[in-house]
Amino acid sequence: MGKHLITLTVNGRAEEAEIPAKRLLCDLLRDDLMLTGTKRGCETGTCGACSVIVDGRLVKSCLMLALQARGAAVTTVEGLAAPGELSPLQQCFAENGGLQCGYCTPGFLMAASALLAQNPGPTEAQVREALDGNLCRCTGYSGIVASVLAAAEKLRGH
Amino acid sequence: MRDFEFLEPADVAEASRMLAAHGEDCRAYAGGTALLLALRQRLVAPTHLVSLGRIPALSGVRFDAAAGLRIGALTRHAELAAAPEVLRHYPMLAGMAAHLANPQVRNQGTLGGNLCYADPATDPPTCLLGLDAEVEIASARGTRRLPIGDFFVDYYTTALAPDEILVAVHVPPPAADAIGRYTRFLRTPAEHRPLVNVAVTARRSGGAATAVRVAVGASTPIPARVPRAEALLEGRAVTAELAAAAAAAAADDIFAVSDGRGDEAYRRAMVRVVLRRTLAALFDLPGE
Ligand SMILES: Cc1cc2nc3c(=O)[nH]c(=O)nc-3n(C[C@H](O)[C@H](O)[C@H](O)COP(=O)(O)OP(=O)(O)OC[C@H]3O[C@@H](n4cnc5c(N)ncnc54)[C@H](O)[C@@H]3O)c2cc1C
Repeated sequence: MGKHLITLTVNGRAEEAEIPAKRLLCDLLRDDLMLTGTKRGCETGTCGACSVIVDGRLVKSCLMLALQARGAAVTTVEGLAAPGELSPLQQCFAENGGLQCGYCTPGFLMAASALLAQNPGPTEAQVREALDGNLCRCTGYSGIVASVLAAAEKLRGH
Repeated sequence: MRDFEFLEPADVAEASRMLAAHGEDCRAYAGGTALLLALRQRLVAPTHLVSLGRIPALSGVRFDAAAGLRIGALTRHAELAAAPEVLRHYPMLAGMAAHLANPQVRNQGTLGGNLCYADPATDPPTCLLGLDAEVEIASARGTRRLPIGDFFVDYYTTALAPDEILVAVHVPPPAADAIGRYTRFLRTPAEHRPLVNVAVTARRSGGAATAVRVAVGASTPIPARVPRAEALLEGRAVTAELAAAAAAAAADDIFAVSDGRGDEAYRRAMVRVVLRRTLAALFDLPGE
């Protein structure tokens, strides 16, 4: 089986990798590009810990071949803020009890980012719907929803 | 997961020839959300995947007042849910696509992949059967159209020959007095897949319902219409009693599956409740 040379943009940087066809996008990010913020959780498309944004679309990177992201612009949790800094959304997760163990957090942050990019003023119901593909097994959802609503308000400049 | 060759044909004929050449060792590949899970569980181990992503004929959503709606097989669920012509002329279809699975899967999975996988616990098959849709299928040998009810053969089995590709889904233009409603019932909100789903369409002329179609799925191996329920409602002014009778007929008549997600008796009971409520909402009946 041949290898494929793929180029794509990740968090604004041009990247290149030589991969087998079967390489999943989450594995390309974690193992080839060393961007380990994206987590592998259930690997069955259920938990959402591997969520990233590909050309503006929120996707589960365990349900996608890296080859499907050829030429695409990918954003991972590492792309939300400069190293050592927190984006307003991340800051709100910290302030509102939006995480406990933190394993699901990158996925929730990406789902929330995708929502806020499309809808800067979501209702609580819209936030819950947008987070429907992400599971948290320790802190529960109230803090996460509150974090996203707080971030929306902050980003709107209130 | 075993490695494979990833082929990228530019048109349907080339894709079909590739599928024919590699036979059982080959699978078409659209979004990958269903197939990658099967590959990882080693339910299938193809040596070749034929990616459909570069075939323009499989894309796009188009509406024409005379011909109706054409949905390219590669249309993702989220695109279907947001397409202006679907929202306007087929709100039942848009609403179905907006709520299946979860946001990520709606951004990745295609309508064609959903139908070709023929997993019973999914939404589009039942909704499209209610809407009297047809599928357009093509191979290097030619093109054919089938009513969607004939496309599904059994669990995970369709009428596609190994070298055939689903090109598009066609939905007839809605009549001016068309009404319809699709309902999915989940055992718990965290379980994304429907336990039961129901689609009802009709024309409402005066007080009476005509051209009634009742489709039930998710609790059956393939979605099925329920002729006895349709006959009870046809040409009548639908009342709560009539809705209850049609719902009871559907619960009795379907071929109900029994598995870990729900045994047969539970599934029949839920079909009855879900259909009765769907009819009540569709015909503005009191008491639900
Ligand atoms: C976590 C999760 C939850 C889900 N919940 C729901 C739900 O609630 N409701 C629901 O309806 N669905 C649900 N689904 C299923 C989802 O709708 C399908 O996985 C998706 O639509 C499949 O499309 P795909 O493009 O990813 O298909 P692929 O995985 O690419 O292909 C699926 C199959 O179809 C074949 N195929 C694909 N396209 C064609 C074509 N054009 N011609 C011929 N053969 C083709 C492939 O060979 C393969 O066998 C869920 C899936 C996941 C992972």
